[in-house]
Amino acid sequence: MHIDYRHVMRDPWFVTGLGLALFFGLAALLGPWLAPFDPWDMSFDPISAPTRTHWLGVNDGGQDILSELFHAVRNTVVFGLQSGLVALALGVMIGLAAGWYGGAVDTLLMRVADILLAVPAIMILILAAALFQPEPWVLALMLSGLMWPTIGKAIRAQTLSLRKGLHVRAAAQIGGGGTYILRRHLLPEMFPLYLIGFAGKARMAMFMEASLAFLGLFDPSRKSLGMMISYALQFYYLDVWWNWLLPPVLCLSLLIMGVTFLAVSLEKILDPRLRIGMEART
Amino acid sequence: MKPRGKNWSRGLTGSITAFVLAAVAMVYLSYALPRLLPGDFVSAMYASSQVTLTEDQEAELRAYYTQDSGFPSYLARIVTLDWGYSYAYLTPVSDLFFEALPWTLLLLGSAHLLSMTVGFIAGVEAAWRSGTRTEKGMVAGMTFLEGVPEISTGIVLLFFFALQLNWFPAVGAETAYAGTTGWERILNIMHHLILPLGTLVLAYVPGNFLLTRNSMMMVLHAPFVRTARAKGLPPGRVRYAHAARNALLPLVTRLGLRLAFMITGALVIERIYAYPGLGSLLFSAIQARDLPVIQAVVLVSSLLVLGVILALEGVYRIIDPRIAHAH
Repeated sequence: MHIDYRHVMRDPWFVTGLGLALFFGLAALLGPWLAPFDPWDMSFDPISAPTRTHWLGVNDGGQDILSELFHAVRNTVVFGLQSGLVALALGVMIGLAAGWYGGAVDTLLMRVADILLAVPAIMILILAAALFQPEPWVLALMLSGLMWPTIGKAIRAQTLSLRKGLHVRAAAQIGGGGTYILRRHLLPEMFPLYLIGFAGKARMAMFMEASLAFLGLFDPSRKSLGMMISYALQFYYLDVWWNWLLPPVLCLSLLIMGVTFLAVSLEKILDPRLRIGMEART
Repeated sequence: MKPRGKNWSRGLTGSITAFVLAAVAMVYLSYALPRLLPGDFVSAMYASSQVTLTEDQEAELRAYYTQDSGFPSYLARIVTLDWGYSYAYLTPVSDLFFEALPWTLLLLGSAHLLSMTVGFIAGVEAAWRSGTRTEKGMVAGMTFLEGVPEISTGIVLLFFFALQLNWFPAVGAETAYAGTTGWERILNIMHHLILPLGTLVLAYVPGNFLLTRNSMMMVLHAPFVRTARAKGLPPGRVRYAHAARNALLPLVTRLGLRLAFMITGALVIERIYAYPGLGSLLFSAIQARDLPVIQAVVLVSSLLVLGVILALEGVYRIIDPRIAHAH
């Protein structure tokens, strides 16, 4: 299984997705330095329209909206990357273990996966957030712990088919042990699956972050796209649509679109029989 | 579709076990988590809330959370709908819950039904026209839509159709105090339902469409489809009576796999349109730090989701008899 990268770069969805991802990656990385003001500075005229100094105007708390936006994008992206990476690591390790060792290990892990798939992650996160008000990274880790099963199942299925392969049997014949074969053959061979799984989970995590923030479950001083939308929506009867509500809505849409396009196009390019996509993507 | 025989239930025990375990885990979490909180969380919680409690109420609430009568009696209270008392609404939590539930069921039920139908038919037709310009346009449009989160669709629709064009109401599930009855009331409810429903359908259709199209493309190459065509059956019959039945299976599986996640978007949509379902109830409970309400909504709606997924498993067995024989 491998990706022909020239082929990938010809897919307009992939190129668009990559462009958007790079754009938001950069904005997240440089955000705090690009923001013209301190986003917690409340000394400006509340609810004022865009001006030369405040390109997107000022919110009800007297804070510069553009600066808030930079910090919010950064928080959402960081949350998505953290959660996606940990979910990927968990899914790959558990999937490999279940597929390679089989038997009771496999049964146990896959039962746990089935249970987690049926439980609404958002509900557990809401309960935890409402009770303990944890740091965002704690919620990101909890989310990873809840959303690895789709990746785990896909990796397991692929491990089961790969372990019957000629090269794996040959490696076993020359005396390669389990760990050696896993590390040397199975782990690198499934690389494309990691990309799809990661893109899918990062997308899901960013969507979750925006939703949790929209529902008011994060620390109110933490800037977030969902929270900006929620606050701006309370003033929908004023003229705040274009400068206050639209920017976070647009950023969130483009961000999630970028990741979705990457996931969809990678999936399409890979063998269509590896249909982990539909489950792993969202 | 054959009547369900003995085989229908084969292998189902395993999934029921998984669901019972998941349900027990959820109930236990909701029991154990508040008890893990350090110190006097009642005062701490309500200090940041919009509700002011009297001494008596605070003592009562503290007693409610600290009376450690154990897990069995907690379970008994859940079953008997004794879910505590909301100090923000001054109403028993179960009353609030059952007032909100029908609206959520109406919204989500119709959204899933509609988006599965639309996505399925569009997917079948697209696969049939595979390679044409129409099909490519449909796939591109749906892929684009797949990337747009519900929050954004909801806000855009709210802006254009409720606030600019004034075609649909922006808040609520029916006009308050309108006193309408019968057909008039139903029309009024439909009128309020259209925007939130449209938002969810726009969010759900693309996934259903893309999945149906992909599985249909594979089914269309199967020998039995060629046979059906060779027999000279009308194309509509080949498509739906022969091929599409097989493309229906992944759709049901997908709903089961994703339902738990899809709830997230529905919560947000209810809040955007101030639709008086469980999502709005949960939102205001979070704002007021109304813990008993948060707990009850989280727990009971999770259990409902588990129940629906289990039911889907049964449906899947009915439409795919192979499953029962596979074990």
